[in-house]
Amino acid sequence: MTTVPEPRTGERHMLLDPGMDLTLRPMRYPHFFDRFKDAIRNTWTVEEVDLHSDLPDLARLSPAERHLVSRLVAFFATGDTIVANNLVLNLYQHVNSPEGRLYLSRQLFEEAVHVQFYLNLLDTYVPDERERFEAFAAVENIPSIARKAEFCFKWIDSIFALRELRTREDRRAFLLNLICFAACIEGLFFYGAFAYVYFLRSRGVLHGLASGTNWVFRDESMHMAFAFDVVDTVRAEEPDLFDAEMERQVRDMLAEAVECEVQFAADLLEQGVSGLSLADMREYLQHVADRRLAVLGIAPMYGSRNPFAFMELQDVQELSNFFERRVSAYQVGVTGTVSFDDDF
Amino acid sequence: MTATQDVAVADQAAPEQRRQAMRVRKRDGDTEPVDVNKIVRAVERWVADLDEVDPLRVATRTISGLYDGASTAELDKLSIQTAAELIGEEPQYSRLAARLLAAYVDKEVRGQGVASFSQAIAYAHGLGLIGDATAAFVARNARKLDDAVDPDGDLRFEYFGLRTVTDRYLLRHPESRLVVETPQYWLLRVACGLSDTPGEAIGFYRLMSSLAYLPSSPTLFNSGTRHTQMSSCFLVDSPRDELDSIYERYHQVAKLSKFSGGIGISWSRVRGRGALIRGTNGRSNGIVPFLKTLDAGVAAVNQGGRRKGAACVYLEPWHPDIEEFLELRDNTGEESRRTHNLNLANWIPDEFMRRVEADEEWSLIDPSDAPELPDLFGEAFDEAYRAAEKKAVRRVRARDLYGRMMRTLAQTGNGWMTFKDAANRLSNQTGAPGNTIHLSNLCTEILEVNDDTETAVCNLGSINLAAHVTTSGVDWEKLRATVRTAVVFLDRVIDINYYPSAQAAASNPRWRPVGLGLMGLQDAFFTLRLPFDSAGARELSTRVQEEIFLTALETSAGLAERFGPHPAYAETRAAKGDLHPDLWGVTPAQTERWAALRSAVAAHGLRNSLLVAIAPTATIASIAGCYECIEPQVSNLFKRETMSGEFLQVNTYLVRELKARGLWTPAVREQIKRAEGSVQGITDLPADVRELFRTAWELPQRALIDLAAARAPFVDQSQSLNLFLAAPTIGKLSSMYLYAWKSGLKTTYYLRSRPATRIQQATVAPVISPVVAASDAAALACSLENPDSCEACQ
Repeated sequence: MTTVPEPRTGERHMLLDPGMDLTLRPMRYPHFFDRFKDAIRNTWTVEEVDLHSDLPDLARLSPAERHLVSRLVAFFATGDTIVANNLVLNLYQHVNSPEGRLYLSRQLFEEAVHVQFYLNLLDTYVPDERERFEAFAAVENIPSIARKAEFCFKWIDSIFALRELRTREDRRAFLLNLICFAACIEGLFFYGAFAYVYFLRSRGVLHGLASGTNWVFRDESMHMAFAFDVVDTVRAEEPDLFDAEMERQVRDMLAEAVECEVQFAADLLEQGVSGLSLADMREYLQHVADRRLAVLGIAPMYGSRNPFAFMELQDVQELSNFFERRVSAYQVGVTGTVSFDDDF
Repeated sequence: MTATQDVAVADQAAPEQRRQAMRVRKRDGDTEPVDVNKIVRAVERWVADLDEVDPLRVATRTISGLYDGASTAELDKLSIQTAAELIGEEPQYSRLAARLLAAYVDKEVRGQGVASFSQAIAYAHGLGLIGDATAAFVARNARKLDDAVDPDGDLRFEYFGLRTVTDRYLLRHPESRLVVETPQYWLLRVACGLSDTPGEAIGFYRLMSSLAYLPSSPTLFNSGTRHTQMSSCFLVDSPRDELDSIYERYHQVAKLSKFSGGIGISWSRVRGRGALIRGTNGRSNGIVPFLKTLDAGVAAVNQGGRRKGAACVYLEPWHPDIEEFLELRDNTGEESRRTHNLNLANWIPDEFMRRVEADEEWSLIDPSDAPELPDLFGEAFDEAYRAAEKKAVRRVRARDLYGRMMRTLAQTGNGWMTFKDAANRLSNQTGAPGNTIHLSNLCTEILEVNDDTETAVCNLGSINLAAHVTTSGVDWEKLRATVRTAVVFLDRVIDINYYPSAQAAASNPRWRPVGLGLMGLQDAFFTLRLPFDSAGARELSTRVQEEIFLTALETSAGLAERFGPHPAYAETRAAKGDLHPDLWGVTPAQTERWAALRSAVAAHGLRNSLLVAIAPTATIASIAGCYECIEPQVSNLFKRETMSGEFLQVNTYLVRELKARGLWTPAVREQIKRAEGSVQGITDLPADVRELFRTAWELPQRALIDLAAARAPFVDQSQSLNLFLAAPTIGKLSSMYLYAWKSGLKTTYYLRSRPATRIQQATVAPVISPVVAASDAAALACSLENPDSCEACQ
């Protein structure tokens, strides 16, 4: 650990050691700071998303597709708020690095923008006030969404009482919470939801939803990557935390998350949507779960392939025609001064 | 992957008994079991020349996505989608998907009792979609025209192109929204709308059906219909510095936008913030609130349900509100001062660039104090500007303002750099005093004079160079023939066109400008194996442009001989004997033909004041299945988002190359995808092949500018020149745009850049990083100091 400078107190400390470290120099985890800077360059605002073409699309959807969309936005209405709550209640206090906390502050802002985006979306999609209130109360009223929320609350509660991570057990519990939100909630529930959105977009409908979701997706990818970065860092500092028992717990947790998401899919696809079968959705979710395990160095549970060619589209550069809609590819932070002999 | 493997996988996902239980609902309401063989047979009809397509694979995958009780129409649509999803693996599936779609469309049209072209026109006329003149023309010549429809025409489309055609170009029944014409009927209808004789119509139809040339979208949308607005571009002069004029412009913009026109509008004459308003003795709020209103107006107008309205506002950099103008597209800050729907462009006099270079001060002057500035260029402008500096509202460092322009380009891609003096000095239309070009258009390729009472108009079309090139070179005779037909029909639009505003109707018949462009240049370079930045590429592109321009001038002189020169001919530089290459001081290669042309022009004049403009061709290039205008490829593998959904495109030239080398494997595909469409990391490819297949991000941008400057003497309007920097800095941008100005370019277009971070790839397997042991100092150093490269391998 020669590259990690000694802390101010003269006593070497680790990322999960309790405390409120305030010193950014010398910087112990510059990779967290870089992630913070990258995130700022990707700033977007809700006003940039153009939902104008979605309304006529909604009218064109089949009843089965409309059911899918209404369930989906109901999930989005609360999903990001749950993630934000866990960040505030459980993550921020324990990641004892000011640069790590900078990133988490930024993530919190992004979650808030996502919440605002989906708020805006629901207000636009569901003009009837009573229906709208029902959509926002999905966590209570719609069993398939309630089931997912319960899963989230269970893991929020698991470390809610912990004020400090003193023992090995405390830290393992923290890691499980972190992995749960990265791998299961942002990494599986959201990835499942994104698949429905991209399916719709591949059919040429709901571009407003898709372009906003594209930016949400970009942010969520970053959140997940940061969380796994924290996991890797803790693991490097305290290798003994991550043992066979932990691995078993992670696998069980992911298996439960897959089941939660499959029952949600069964609800969404209840009326039959051409091109999106439940069997394929299950396959996709299992494939995503295997990939989360792979990032953690755990052998795959399912060995499933990704059956959705439309998800492949997400991996490929976009080249929007400005006549069609706004381009999401521009950078916010640009540096340098005027000069005339730079290479270009 | 072979077919049998794939069936095995499909079986896992959909067990055998489930598949047997699956039923589809037929159009008559009966149900029947899904039959894999029936789908296979439907696919097999179309694959005779597609040896890499596996019909069984399409059939089994289609069934795996189906639900019990789906309709047969859903089944048909799903099979099209399924074939389209395989394009990323094997480009031939694009042809298959297109043919399945064509068959689907055909069924839809025939289902309404339409069996021929003339019946389709009569039917659509009855529905109020077709104009009376075209309906009568088709009825008179029904047999000849019906016989002219090419039954193999649809086989030439790629999926992306035909999907776009189907979703946006084919006429639809006003109530049922079913398409009432097939793709070939559509092209023949467009031809008939512009023709006097059936022979003419059939010739023009054949040219379009071969995809060697396509007119721009407004012509493809509206020719032959009841609203024949076929022009692409309108250039509206700045409102006068008074309220009535400003509101008149909103009205005009709305009318132009309604009929599919793209709009450029200047705002340089309107006073800035803080200027005195004599009538009320108040102070002006400046141009931003007015542009906010324009923004809302543009967004409100829907172009016939096909796309949103679009406009670009031009401002000269001496305007006192220039800094606020440059912030209009920022995504933070006060929303009441943001215009998310407007594009922005800087209309820059040379004097500004000279002061940037010399690091001098720049004066911001209110137009109410110097109302003559927008109408002046060259030395006259320089003098008037220097004289007006006494009345400057504020003085800034020219470099600071230039840096601000660069920042806007990097952050929004907008704030295009267009150069007022080059645009005016090098124009045929500015031959008489008082004629000034005040702005360019929405895509920065049109440069035409206008004023308060005349709105400049241009109708466009583009030659698909890919259709004129084989491995042995350019078919020059074919290219000339295409140009001749294209110019005649572009000229024809001027007389038949419906002009949405009186100002537009006042300008176009006087000047008769047209904009003949080019697309598929990158295709030609791939076919001839010329790297984009090679000397050979530059020579070819210049030679092609000279051929196009020269032939276009010859054709226009021929039209002048028959119909007379355009009415404003006496005001042009050509009337004084100066043709466009002369303005550049360039000696063309084909000296004899130019000499002959000069005498023809001297004898008859020109029918058109301007002939060539290179438009972006975003949509028509996709219909023709070629790369956009003069642009390099953006990636070897990319998706395109349009209103019709998303599509994956693969560089078919690369696939051919890889197949020939036995390298078109899943592993290589994955590598290309992980590298975001770059092949530079595929070391099995020889260096010269990798050089050929560089993307726009990997090419020196200097080469793009050099190519544009070399062809510019043969482009009498301008070019939509995009520039690409993956990670722009102010230093790079300021160097690049100074170089573009010094090269003499009249305009540039978007700055394209890439997002700072990206979405985690969903279908590329993660590279598993080994768990870092605490003692492994080297590995730790990697993850601490170099997080980006670790992230990059995911």
